[in-house]
Amino acid sequence: MSTTMCGAGAPARETLKPKVAEAEANTILAAIIRSFTVLVAALQEIFDESAYRRFLDRTHQQSSPHAYAGFRRENEQAKSRRPRCC
Amino acid sequence: MPKFLRILLWIAVSLLGALALATIALHRGEQINALWLVVAAVSTYAVGYRFYSSFIAAKVLALDPLRATPAERLDNGRDFVPTNKWVVFGHHFAAIAGPGPLVGPVLAAQFGYLPGTLWIIAGAVLGGCVQDFVILLFSVRRDGKSLTEMAKSEIGRLGGVVAYVAVLGIIVILLAVVALVVVNALKSSPWGAFTIAMTMPIAVLMGIYLRRIRPGKVLETSAIGFVLVLAAIFGGQWVSETPSWAAIFTLTAPTLSILIIVYGFAASALPVWLLLAPRDYLSTFVKLGTISLLAVGIVVLRPSLHMPPLTRFADGDGPVFAGKIFPFAFITIACGAISGFHALISSGTTPKLIRREPEARLVGYGAMMAESMVAIMAMIAASVLQPGVYFAVNSPAGIVGQAPEAAATTISSWGFQVTAAQMATLAHAVGEQTLFNRTGGAPAFAVGMAQIFSSTLGGHAVMALWYHFAIMFEALFILTIIDAGTRVGRFMLQDALGHIWKPLGRTSWYPSILFTSAVIVAAWGNFLWQGIKDPLGGINSLWPLFGICNQLLATVALCVATNIILKTACAKTRRLRYALVTLFPLCWLVAVTFTASWHKILDPNPRVGFLSHARQLAAAGANPRLIFNDRLDAAVTGVLVVMVAMILIESSLECMRIISGSKSAATKESPFVMTRLAMEEQS
Repeated sequence: MSTTMCGAGAPARETLKPKVAEAEANTILAAIIRSFTVLVAALQEIFDESAYRRFLDRTHQQSSPHAYAGFRRENEQAKSRRPRCC
Repeated sequence: MPKFLRILLWIAVSLLGALALATIALHRGEQINALWLVVAAVSTYAVGYRFYSSFIAAKVLALDPLRATPAERLDNGRDFVPTNKWVVFGHHFAAIAGPGPLVGPVLAAQFGYLPGTLWIIAGAVLGGCVQDFVILLFSVRRDGKSLTEMAKSEIGRLGGVVAYVAVLGIIVILLAVVALVVVNALKSSPWGAFTIAMTMPIAVLMGIYLRRIRPGKVLETSAIGFVLVLAAIFGGQWVSETPSWAAIFTLTAPTLSILIIVYGFAASALPVWLLLAPRDYLSTFVKLGTISLLAVGIVVLRPSLHMPPLTRFADGDGPVFAGKIFPFAFITIACGAISGFHALISSGTTPKLIRREPEARLVGYGAMMAESMVAIMAMIAASVLQPGVYFAVNSPAGIVGQAPEAAATTISSWGFQVTAAQMATLAHAVGEQTLFNRTGGAPAFAVGMAQIFSSTLGGHAVMALWYHFAIMFEALFILTIIDAGTRVGRFMLQDALGHIWKPLGRTSWYPSILFTSAVIVAAWGNFLWQGIKDPLGGINSLWPLFGICNQLLATVALCVATNIILKTACAKTRRLRYALVTLFPLCWLVAVTFTASWHKILDPNPRVGFLSHARQLAAAGANPRLIFNDRLDAAVTGVLVVMVAMILIESSLECMRIISGSKSAATKESPFVMTRLAMEEQS
C-alpha cells in the first residue's frame, strides 16, 4: 500500500520540480528585466529623453526638429539656472 | 528572511566592516590590498544606511508615506514630475558627482591613505549623507524651495543673504580651482589639448545630429559622440608624435588660462547651445561610464596600495598643500565626505521629482553614499602610485625645484625614492613630455587609473591611452562645470542687481548679459590667473579656499536643518535630542572651517597663512600683484567666516527663543495633503 502511494506520489513530485525551477528562473529573469528597465529609465531621465517625451505629450506634438527646438528652448531656460556640483 | 537570520547577517556585515577598518588603520610596514578600503567603506555605508538613516527617517524626520509630495500636488509635466525612486537616485547622483570627489582625495593622499579614507567614510555616514537627506526632505515639505529661500524663511533675512553670498563665493572659487586643475593637466600636453579641442567639433556634430536627424535621441547621440571622442584620443597620439602638429597643441599655462577664460565668457554670454548642450550630455555619458569602469576595475583587479597609511607630512609641511591633518584633511576632502554644494542640488531639481516622502531616504542618503564611494576610488587611484611618483607629480616647482634631477633628489630626501630617469620613463609611457610638477590632482589620478587598468587590460602598451582617456574625462566635465557654473553665477548676479536697477535683472537684455557674464568671468578668472602665477603652485592657496567655502555652505545648510528639527521637536515631539543628528556634524564643521580659516589668514608659516606669505613676499620685494593676491585671499576667507559666524549667532538665538518658548515653533512647511499615489498603489 505504502509502496503504491510512494509510487503514485513520485511522478507528481518529479513533474513539480522542473516547474519550481522554471518559476525561480522566471523570477530571476523578471528581476533582471525590471532592473534593466529602471536603469534605462534612469538614463533617459538623466539625458532628458523622458523630459522631451513629456514635452511632446504636454504640447500635443510629434517628434520633429521643430518640436525638439521648442523643447530645448524651454529646457535650457530652466537648466541654465541649475547649479552643477563640484 | 527570518528575523534571526537578518540579525546574523547584520552582525556579520558589522564585523566585516570593523575588521576592514582595523586592517587599514593598524596595518603598518606592508602594502595592503585596495579591496580592504572598499570592504570597509561598503560595510560601513550598509550599516549606516540600514540603521542610522532608518532612525533619522522614522524618528527625526517622521517620513510620512501618506503625505503628498510637491511632485504629485504640483505635477506640471515639466519641473514637478513624480518619478521612480531609482530614476531620481540616478538623476541626483549624476548631478552631485563632480570633480571634487576625484581631486580632493588625491590631494589629501599626501597625508597617507588613512586620514582621508577614515574621513570619507565617517564624514559621509554621519555628515554628508545626513545633510543631503534632511535638506532634501525639508525642501520636499516646502514645495521644492531652495536652500537660500529656506534659510531666509526659517532663520531670517540674514540667513538668506549669507546663503546667497556663500553660494556665489563658492561658485567663483570652484570655477577658478577646477579651471586650474584643467590648466595643470593640459599644459605642455599636445595629446590632451588636442583631444579636448576635438570635443568641440564633435559636440557641434552631435548637436546637428540631435536637432536635425534624430531629434531627442540623446543616449544614441551621446554613444556616437563617445566613439568619436575615443577616435580623438587615438588622434591625439598621432598629433603628439608629429612635431609640426605637436607644436601647435603644446600650450603654456597662461595661454590655456586665457583660452578657458574666453571660453567661459562665450559660453555664458553667447547663444552657443549647439555646442554646449551636446557636450554636457557627452560629459555626463563619459562621467558615468568611467566611474562604473573604475569601480569594476578596482574590484576585479584588486590593486595593492603603495602609499603608506600615514606619511611624515601629517606634521603640516606637505608639498602638495601646507597644513596639518586637522583641519586641512577635512576641508581638502569636501565632496565625498560632506559638501555644502550638495545642499543646493538637494533643494533644486531633486525635491521636485520625489514621488513619496520615504523615497527621500534612498535618494538623499543613498546617492551621497555612492558619491562617497567615488571618493574612495580616487583615494585608491592615488595610493596605488609609488609615493615617490605621487609626490613628483603633485609637488610644485616652487617646493621641489624645476629641474627633474633636483626634484627627484628633494623627494628622495623625504624618504620617497624616485629618480629622474624613472619619471622620464613613466612620462614616456603615458605619452607626456614630463610628469614633474603636474599639480592639481588630475594628472596623478590619471596616472593611477592608467596603472590600474594597464596592469591587465592591454598591458603597458596602452598605458598612454588610459592616461589620456582619464585626462579627457576629467577635463571634459570640468569644462562643462565651467560653462554651466558661469551661467548660474551670471543669473544669480542678475537677480541681485535687478533689485538695484530693474533692467539689469532682465535675463534676456543683452547689455546685462554681457556685463554680468564679464563680472563673473573676471572674478573666477582673477583667481585662476593668481593660481598659475602663484610661486607655491596655486593649488596650495586655492583648494583650501574652495574647501573652506564649500564647508561654510554646509555649515549654513546644517544650521537651517538644525533649526527646523528643533522647531518641529518643540511643536510636536518635544524630543530636542533629535537635533543632535545635524548639530553634531554642524559643530564639527564649525571647528574645522573656523580653525582652517584662522590658519589660512593668520598662521605665521608663510606656506599656510596668506598674510604671512604676503609679508614674506613684500620683504623679498616681490611683484605687488602677488602680495595683493594673498591679501585678497585672506579678505575673502575673513568675509565668509564673519558672515557664517553671523548666521550661527542668529540661528542659535532663534533656537534659544524657540526652546524657551518666547517664540512660536512654527515651521514654514506646506500644509498636509493626502497622497493619491498610496491608494493607487494599493488598489
